Amino acid sequence: MNRYSTLRSLVRIRQLDLLLPFFSMANPLKLYLNCIRNTLEAAMCLQNFPCQEVERHNKPEVELKTSPELLLNPVLICRNEAEKCLIETSINSLRISLKVKQADELENILAKKFLRFLSMRAEAFQVLRRQPVQGYDISFLITNYHCEDMQKNKLIDFIVQFMEDIDKEISELKLSMSTRGRLVATEFLKQFI
Amino acid sequence: MASFEKASPALKEILLKIYRSENPIEVDHCLHEFGSVEYHIQSSASDPQHIYLSISTPLLSQGILLSYGLPRYTTELLNRTYSDVVELEEPAREGFQLTLRINLGKISKTKDAEKLITKISSVQAIVLSSQLKEMLKNVNSQEVSRGPYRPIKLVYHPREPFFVVKQEASVITIFPIRFKEDSDVIIATSFFQELMDVGSSGAFAKAPPCHWSPIPPLELRGEPIEELSTNGGFISFEISSRHVEGKKLEKMVWSLLNFYAFLKYHVKSTKGFIQRRLRKRLESLVEVLHKASTEEDHIEKAQGRTHKRKLITSSRFRFFRKRFNFKKKMKHFRSKIKIHGLDRFRRRWLRIPTLSSVKRYAKLR
Repeated sequence: MNRYSTLRSLVRIRQLDLLLPFFSMANPLKLYLNCIRNTLEAAMCLQNFPCQEVERHNKPEVELKTSPELLLNPVLICRNEAEKCLIETSINSLRISLKVKQADELENILAKKFLRFLSMRAEAFQVLRRQPVQGYDISFLITNYHCEDMQKNKLIDFIVQFMEDIDKEISELKLSMSTRGRLVATEFLKQFI
Repeated sequence: MASFEKASPALKEILLKIYRSENPIEVDHCLHEFGSVEYHIQSSASDPQHIYLSISTPLLSQGILLSYGLPRYTTELLNRTYSDVVELEEPAREGFQLTLRINLGKISKTKDAEKLITKISSVQAIVLSSQLKEMLKNVNSQEVSRGPYRPIKLVYHPREPFFVVKQEASVITIFPIRFKEDSDVIIATSFFQELMDVGSSGAFAKAPPCHWSPIPPLELRGEPIEELSTNGGFISFEISSRHVEGKKLEKMVWSLLNFYAFLKYHVKSTKGFIQRRLRKRLESLVEVLHKASTEEDHIEKAQGRTHKRKLITSSRFRFFRKRFNFKKKMKHFRSKIKIHGLDRFRRRWLRIPTLSSVKRYAKLR
């Protein structure tokens, strides 16, 4: 019951977040990230819950979806069509799926390369899913065990920083690639002078 | 273009070995390079003053492949380059297009013997570049018939042909770009955009104008469809007579022949650069996650640890840790202090007398 009331308040916060740009011209990325942070704070109240179907099994319910009473409504936060975040919550696990902005072909291959690189090294992150949810670029799966091992607010910090870093890294890579290309082109044409 | 050497390193090594040896040695080597170039080096102890070097290489243009050997301008160029140190044998040995007789006695008399040997090892580059050089030299000549000019297909590498089209006052070289991976195409395309931008700037007004288009240029109209199907478009350089004056000609020919190699090298190193950046970013991200681990924080506070823990654990380490569970074993090991013979001593002397239970029955005898 407590959880539902938290989510209801969260919806109110989200509405406020959406209204904010009309009152001030704040950084739009910050608003988007704030909204995700608040949603995660509310959704990340996980507890140990054994499987109801198989004895002595303990599985993330958000993945198996065996009983509907253990699942909450998924929350979709969209910045625009290309950038969105899906947060699915269950009693013992939480799944966060992200879609990263890809404006042109170069950004597209950079994002693909980066996210594939991270997915291949998912064991270093613990909470990263090897395969993203369909329609998204990267997914995280947080279970109650992760919440016990790590501090909850730091875990949320990590997710938010991860999103910030991906955007930053892709735009930096794009810039440095074109700088590199320009330098190589200059060197090539210098031969003819 | 320092990374693209003209001289063949294997051939140079063998020639230097023969040159440096004090006693005459018997050498009979066959070398293959790039899958299609073949060298044969022969040196006998009976004739220590001469080395015979034969070479077979696919020519740039298949249209002028001659059955009896190389074109005249190539042999002239070779004679001019090597002067009296090397002689061309007529006819060439069977299965080869060219046989050179290298005079070791004359090489040892010259000051820069090694330089000369390097020059001899770049014979294949000279043969190949001679044809393009001849074409570029005649940029301004009017001997070509007027009207629609047919593009000439040149094959420097079997999978990477390019075209040379003679125009009235210039020569246009067109490179069809094909890559296996999509990411390579995108990196190359962004490079072409930069090449066009830089080329059109004022500082490079003297360089040949380059143009990239995703569709085949007009000059290639009429070529077979398989030659025109590309995934990276077409890049063309327009070369006029001022671009091939004097020493510029040599540079121009070598740069055009190696344009594909240059492009591939750029794509490969860009991919390496991206990978390096990603590795760095991965480390910083993992560090953030490890800060979130409460256990780690507590240990650091309690023990005041100063050394940095390795952040990325290998899967093998995890497997062993799971399987053997060292932590549990250590706890178990520490909980008991074993003294040899203590158990027997305790049983004998420190035994607590057991009280007979009321419920227990006495054994009948």
